[in-house]
Amino acid sequence: MSSTQPNDFSWIINLLFFGFIMLFSLYGAKIQMWQWLNQIKMGLGELGRMADDSKQKAIDTFKEFGRGQDEVTKGIERWLDYFTIMPVDLDPAGVLRRLDHLLDERRDRFQEYVRELAPNANSSVDQNLENTLEVTQVLSLIFRVVRHYYILGKKTGSQLIIMQVQMQMPELLRMAKAYYDAIGAFSDGKPIGDGLGPLVISKFARQYGVSSEGYVQEIGREVGYYPVEAEGRTIYALRATGPGGTVGKPGFAVKTLVDQNKGEIARIITVDAALKLEGEETGRISEGTGAAIGDPGPEKHAIEETATENGIGIEAIVVKEDEAGAVGVMEKKVLDAVPEVIERIREVILKRTKPGDKIILAGIGNTIGIGI
Amino acid sequence: MGLLSKVIGAIISGAGAFILFYGMSDPNMSWVWFFIGLLVISIGFQMLTAGGKQKAPKPPPPTITEVKCDNPTCDFKEIRDFQKGDYVLKPLDAKCPKCGSKMTIQGVYIVKEEDEKDKINV
Ligand SMILES: [Zn+2]
Repeated sequence: MSSTQPNDFSWIINLLFFGFIMLFSLYGAKIQMWQWLNQIKMGLGELGRMADDSKQKAIDTFKEFGRGQDEVTKGIERWLDYFTIMPVDLDPAGVLRRLDHLLDERRDRFQEYVRELAPNANSSVDQNLENTLEVTQVLSLIFRVVRHYYILGKKTGSQLIIMQVQMQMPELLRMAKAYYDAIGAFSDGKPIGDGLGPLVISKFARQYGVSSEGYVQEIGREVGYYPVEAEGRTIYALRATGPGGTVGKPGFAVKTLVDQNKGEIARIITVDAALKLEGEETGRISEGTGAAIGDPGPEKHAIEETATENGIGIEAIVVKEDEAGAVGVMEKKVLDAVPEVIERIREVILKRTKPGDKIILAGIGNTIGIGI
Repeated sequence: MGLLSKVIGAIISGAGAFILFYGMSDPNMSWVWFFIGLLVISIGFQMLTAGGKQKAPKPPPPTITEVKCDNPTCDFKEIRDFQKGDYVLKPLDAKCPKCGSKMTIQGVYIVKEEDEKDKINV
């Protein structure tokens, strides 16, 4: 460190400097990939933990209904990657009918399986178990897909694969977290945010003096209705039958009701929870035209077609919430929106229908924890 | 851990800046001091910024069951913790302590408190 030897170190420094430049210009991308792979690995660990936890929770829940630990574990593991093959849409004619058929089949298989694995559960608990299993499936699927791309990226060193997964990671984690937080709600049978539709229907019916005794069961699969006399009109207030967790098939039930009351239905009103945009207030009520139903297609199609064929006006009232709120336990803000929704329904009835008309009011959503 | 590591980080960063600044005035060794200074600053900054992102996940808020008296003229309302088997619109066996009417569960919900820090106001 003395100034008497001016050039002792300068060559080392120069070498270091060039080495540094070479390293980053030649291996910069490699270093970045390595960094990204590490980030994916961390996220993957988190996803794996959530998948394992939810599986454990599902096993614990199923265990209470008559089968042993080993049997349940084996059964659930076998069911984790159950798949449904979407119908061909190259030949679109009748694709919705085929899809509907497949979805029915899938639901039958699920029910059969849950009955087998939890023989001592009653039907409403069965439905909650189905829901629990579905959440477990979703988390397992997310984990397996991300793991697939992680391993593939590592094996091939493909920047494209690694980059895509790394960039989608925050969104995937957010989604997984929403489902992970929801599993407690499903296994305990608590009402979830998506249950707003059925809740509005039942509270609407009660407000006009129709209790659970007046409920007409099974107009469609797991769907029933309250015949409500309000403001001089007849309102068929339709929802899936709870308090087990099911969404039923309300779309086809609407079609059945229209067919049963040929030419008499004046308006169809659907009530549902809708995804809010970031920045919007949870529990905000919003109105619009169309069928508010988030099924894969067949049911929405059924409502739209029957409305169009019979020239029935169709409108929707939705309450906004985020994804985590929709699959997690119902938030107070959403519950507090119910009276206002009922008030808006009343407004629709008074403004756009005449006394003596018949109206279908359909509450769409999962009925878990919401009694009739 | 949080505050202490931030203080140490700040001190190390300051020391790095000091080395960087005064090392430059040494004509022969300025390169060496430059690198050492940069290294020390980066270590200091690492300590200063680390840990901020890792928040302990908050436990989910408790689920609340709201029970109301069926008698429209009675305003009795009970708020209690969720019990397994509760569902909305479940008629209860317990009678209203105020007027003796039947009671029904009118709501099962959570109260999500939004973190003001996480909220982005536009
Ligand atoms: Zn009372």
